[in-house]
Formats: sequence, structure tokens, C-alpha cells
Amino acid sequence: MLALFVVGLITSGLAGAAAYFLPVVVAAYAQTGQPRASTPAPEHASPGAPPAPAGGSAFTVLLMGSDDDTKFAQGVYLTQSMILIRINPATRHVTMLSIPRDLYVPWSTGGHGKIDEVHQYGDAASVATVERNFNIHVDEWAWVGLKGLVKLIDLMGGVDLTTGNPVLDDFYPADLESTNPYSYKRVAVLPGPQHLDGIHALEYVRSRHGDIQEDFGRSQRQQQVLLALRTKAKNVNAADLPGIVASFHDEFKTSFNLSDFGRLRSLISLASQISDPSQIEQIVLVPPYTGSDVINGADVVTPNWSLIRPLIQQKFT
Amino acid sequence: MTRPRWTAGRAAAVLLMAIVWIVSGIAAYLYLGAHRTTLATEAKKPTEAKLAQGPISRLPGTLYLVQGGTLYRLQRGSFSPVLKAPGGASVWTQPVFTPNGQSLVVVRRDYASSDLYLFDTSGRSPTLLTHNASRTVEANHWAFYPRLSPDGASLFFSYDRKDPGNVYNVVLSVYSMPMSPGSSFSQAKKWTVPASFTGGDIQPIPLPSGGVIYTKYSFDNKTNKILSQIYLTPRAGAPGKALTAIEDSCLQPALSPDGQRLAMICTGGKQFATLEIAHFDGSSLGPAQVLVSGQLAAQPAWSPDGSGLVYLAPQGLGGHFQLWLQPVPAPAPTASTAPTPNSTRGSQVGRPTPTAPPTPTPTPSPLTQPIQLTSGLDFEATSTIAWHA
Repeated sequence: MLALFVVGLITSGLAGAAAYFLPVVVAAYAQTGQPRASTPAPEHASPGAPPAPAGGSAFTVLLMGSDDDTKFAQGVYLTQSMILIRINPATRHVTMLSIPRDLYVPWSTGGHGKIDEVHQYGDAASVATVERNFNIHVDEWAWVGLKGLVKLIDLMGGVDLTTGNPVLDDFYPADLESTNPYSYKRVAVLPGPQHLDGIHALEYVRSRHGDIQEDFGRSQRQQQVLLALRTKAKNVNAADLPGIVASFHDEFKTSFNLSDFGRLRSLISLASQISDPSQIEQIVLVPPYTGSDVINGADVVTPNWSLIRPLIQQKFT
Repeated sequence: MTRPRWTAGRAAAVLLMAIVWIVSGIAAYLYLGAHRTTLATEAKKPTEAKLAQGPISRLPGTLYLVQGGTLYRLQRGSFSPVLKAPGGASVWTQPVFTPNGQSLVVVRRDYASSDLYLFDTSGRSPTLLTHNASRTVEANHWAFYPRLSPDGASLFFSYDRKDPGNVYNVVLSVYSMPMSPGSSFSQAKKWTVPASFTGGDIQPIPLPSGGVIYTKYSFDNKTNKILSQIYLTPRAGAPGKALTAIEDSCLQPALSPDGQRLAMICTGGKQFATLEIAHFDGSSLGPAQVLVSGQLAAQPAWSPDGSGLVYLAPQGLGGHFQLWLQPVPAPAPTASTAPTPNSTRGSQVGRPTPTAPPTPTPTPSPLTQPIQLTSGLDFEATSTIAWHA
């Protein structure tokens, strides 16, 4: 009778924990462990890069962010933001490189176009296009939608950062608060140290009309908010995961297999060990790495591969 | 073989076990839920803060700060709301005293525009000073960072005049308008020419000499970033002169009551911000002395007697900005322009070259640690702090 009681007690406790983590498990199977790429790794990809990074070897992650409002068909979005991140657990060094969204490149699916537009063929097409053009191997990727980013930042209690200059925009998309995806509003993010909630952090990273560097300036701001989020994420523990998953809902996909809790824990641990700003290198592909041109009537950013590829070789292999 | 007989006692035991199991399951669920990290801590309202016995109660005079769009008055360690947040997207922000200390100019920021209001110090008798709202989104205007001239006759602020050549070029310029009764924005004068697509010129501080100190944003080719500098312009329309180096990226200037020291926030284009002061001789800055580093320090405001600065900075990782006090060492008579090895930064520009070595060089007083005056509150770090005797 006593044994039955004890077994029942343990089982019920586990059942309670299982119920608590059920949203995480469901999300882990639905939104994580997505296919890595539709095409094989490029011939000249970094030699020896492991297909599934272990705890100690360096690996590369492609972060993608999209407008996912009703301008687009469900699931067919452009990538407004693409950031390559190289993480070296051994040296605890992180390199972040923003890819201009208007970069004119050959697509993995055939043809040429802006790199943000290839995402209409899926996450894997974007990953493969980055791999082929930048001549690297992307180990994992993650995609987040606008609302997901806002919810995540709010769940983290907002972010603290020093905004660089007044970000003023009279034609900022008001698509999150209007049924008209082409409506716009005015934003003014004032400069200096401050606390930003999700919606204002999004304004800071999304606005580009009033920036002398346009998308390049926006890329710098995106990296800045990403680092501020990482600072907040140091406090996250396993019990926070259901809330985080609920905040993302359908706004997050990744090739990381989040059902592998051991690896997830080691990644969180690694993030907490990287605290010195000198351990994080931020790169934006401003001229002379890129130029500008008009192709088929569209303003595009043209890559200077003779400068970009050696940089990638140095920082991402 | 006989089957066990169900007795009342046995049934009660099974029932009890089942209850314990259910409770155990629920307890496990609740235990995990209770161990979530408090990532989004709720801030208290300033009126709920128990501060009467703390160092904040010894601050002289009256301060005005903003939390959650509400303007609060701080006197003798006690906060009271003066202008409640209008609601929706509208907030009160950036209060500033008139020179006689009897009125306040406050920014009301709405969804697409902001306007300047004049109130008495209790938040009554409002006078609308600007009219920036429009039904057409891009026809709205911003007015931020109000500041009265020392004689109280002119109101300076930052304003986004429309660029007819490029609707995307939204930049702030420093403007001034008379504060006399019946005056309007139509009499406003543009003081500065901002660099396009940088955010512009902000945070004016009118000087008794008639000039204006302000923060100017420019694109720095070396770092590929838009950075800020403290500028001085002698008159409206005149080209300004940089008082700080662009790589220091300084902003939020605050002039001491005697007009001889300038406090500012410098970021170097990085994430952390330092609170610094430098001697100001009316046309240039001496080497800066770093008072506070390693924090996201913002909005320095001098005490009425010039013996200290209050500023806002977060409390740990929680992210809410609190009020801090940094005592300021008394200025050295002649050697304030002489750098000291550990706590000065000599990158100010336009500094006069000394013709003779300053002698003797007094040893600067050791800096005291900043004092955290509040906790658990959530002050708006882009809003200035007004402080009057």
C-alpha cells in the first residue's frame, strides 16, 4: 500500500510538471527542429563545420525577422532582417553580421533578386541563398515575426539600451494597429539611455526612413536590441519556457531542436558567460563592402564579394 | 482466494491517497509556475514609495519627474502627482521650471504630435504654447526639450520643420519663441541648421550671454555611426562650434547654477553611458571629469546650490530607472582645467591652450559613490528632471 502511494505521488508530481511544460513540448515539435536547408552545404563552406554543433565547437546561426502582416499571403514573408551570428564556445567570442535586405544576389531557387525576397520560397531557400553567396555553412537558423518580437520583449520586461540618435519617421508602418497593412504613423524614439517596451523597441529597430544610413543604420539598431535582449535572457530559467513559447505562438520557427533540453541549457549557459562587450563583434556591410545601383527599376545594394568573402572567411570559419 | 473486502476505512484511505496525488500534481505545477524568473517586475507608483526617512528626504527644494506619463512633484522625500497621464498614447514629459520657479513648461506628447504647455507649479492654469496636431499624419509636428532663457523672455525647444525637398528627412532644429502674453509660434525663430537624416539638434540650453548650448547629431565617417556632440552657437543662424569631440558622443547637457560647469552624458557610441562634468568658461569646455561610469546614466540635473547632481539609471537587470544622487566636488579655483590621471577625459575640442602652467595644481577631492534614492519605481529616462530651490 505504501509503495503504491509513493509511486502514485511521484507519478502525479511528474504529471503536474508535464502539464506545465506541455506547451513547450508541443511547440518544440511544431515550431522547432525545422529542416536546416533545402540544398546541400556549399562546396566551399567552412571545412569541418559540424552539421549539428556540439557544445565546444564554433557554429553559425542565421537569424531572420519578417514583417508578417496581411500584405503577404500566410507564411510568405520577406526577411526585413537577416543577421549571421558566429558563436565560438571555446573562446566565448560572438560575431554578428547584418546582411542588407536589399542585397542583390543570385537566389538558391534560381534567378536573381534582393536577398529578402527569396524568403517567399521558404526559410530553407533563404538559408541556402546565404550559404551559397557568402560561401559559409549555416548550422542553425531561427525566424521571428513582428508580433513575436514585441511579445518576447514585453515578456522579458522590456529592454534597456542607449538609443543612438533621435529616430524620427513620418511614414512608419502602422500595420500592427490597423487593418490596412499600408497605413502609416509618426514615430519619435528619443535618444539616450532608456527602457523600451516591445512596441517601442520594434519602432526603434524597424524605422529606416529618417536614417542617413537607411537599412545599414537600422541593422546597427537591430544588433543593439538583440544584445540588450541577450542581457535580459541571462535571467531566464526552464520554468520561464512555457511563457516564452506562449508569447511566440506562430511567430517563431527554428531549426534548433528545442526538445533537446540539454543542448538548450548549454546554450543558455554560454550566453550567460559572454558578458564582456569586447567578446561581441558587430559588423554591418556598409560601403566599401557594398554599393548601390538601380536594377529593373528597383534600388538595390550590390555586394563587393572581393571584400566580403575574405571578411567572412576570417570571421565565420 | 478471497478478494479483499471494501470497508469504509479502506475506501477512506484510497480516497485520501487520490486527494494527495491530485494535490501533488497541482503542487508540482504551481511550484514550477512560482519559480519563473521575475522578468517583468511591476514598478510601484512613486506615491506608494516609502522614502520619507531615506536620503531622498534631505534633497533641498522641489523636483519634478515623470513616470508612466504622469508628472510627479518630489518634496521632502514625498511624491505627489501633479499632472496625471492623459491616457491612451498621451503622456506628460520633459518638465522645466521658468527662471522664477513659479511656473513649469511641460511637453504633452500625443500619438503623432507633441505640444508645449505652461502650468503653475501645481499643474493648474494651463496655457497651450504650440499647436502641432493635424489630421494628416505627416503634417503633425513634434516639440521637445523646452527650456526658458535666463531672463524668462524666450522659450527654446526642438521642433521638426518639414523638409519640402524630402518628406523622409524628419529632423529637429532648435527654435525660440517669445514668452510674452499673446505671442505665438508664428514669431518663432530657427536657431540651428540640423544635419539631414540624423535626428537633428536637440536639448537647447540658453545662456545669459545670448548663446545656446545644444546637442547636435552628425554622421561620423570613422565609426559609420550617427553620434552626438555638445555644441555652442552664439546667435540664431550662426554656425555652431563643437564643445566635445564626436567620438565621445555626448548629449543631455546640464549647466550648473553658477554657469561654470557643464554636466553631460557621454556614450562614445557604446551601450554604457558616463556622467561627466567639465569646466565651462562661456566659450569652451575644459577636460571632463567622469563622475559615474558603468551605468546607463541619463538626465543629469544640478541641485540648486550646485553641490550635487541627480540622474536616472536602472536598478540592476530589472531595468526600471531610479533616481540617483552624485555629490559633486567643489570646483578647483584655477586647476579645474588641469587633467587628473584617473578620472578625466581630455577630448574636448576648442579648449584654449594654456599660456602658462596652472600652479599649484590642487589634488581633486576623491569622488563619493552615487547614492540610490529610490527603488522599485520606473522613471521615464528620456524625460528631463526639473529641480528648483
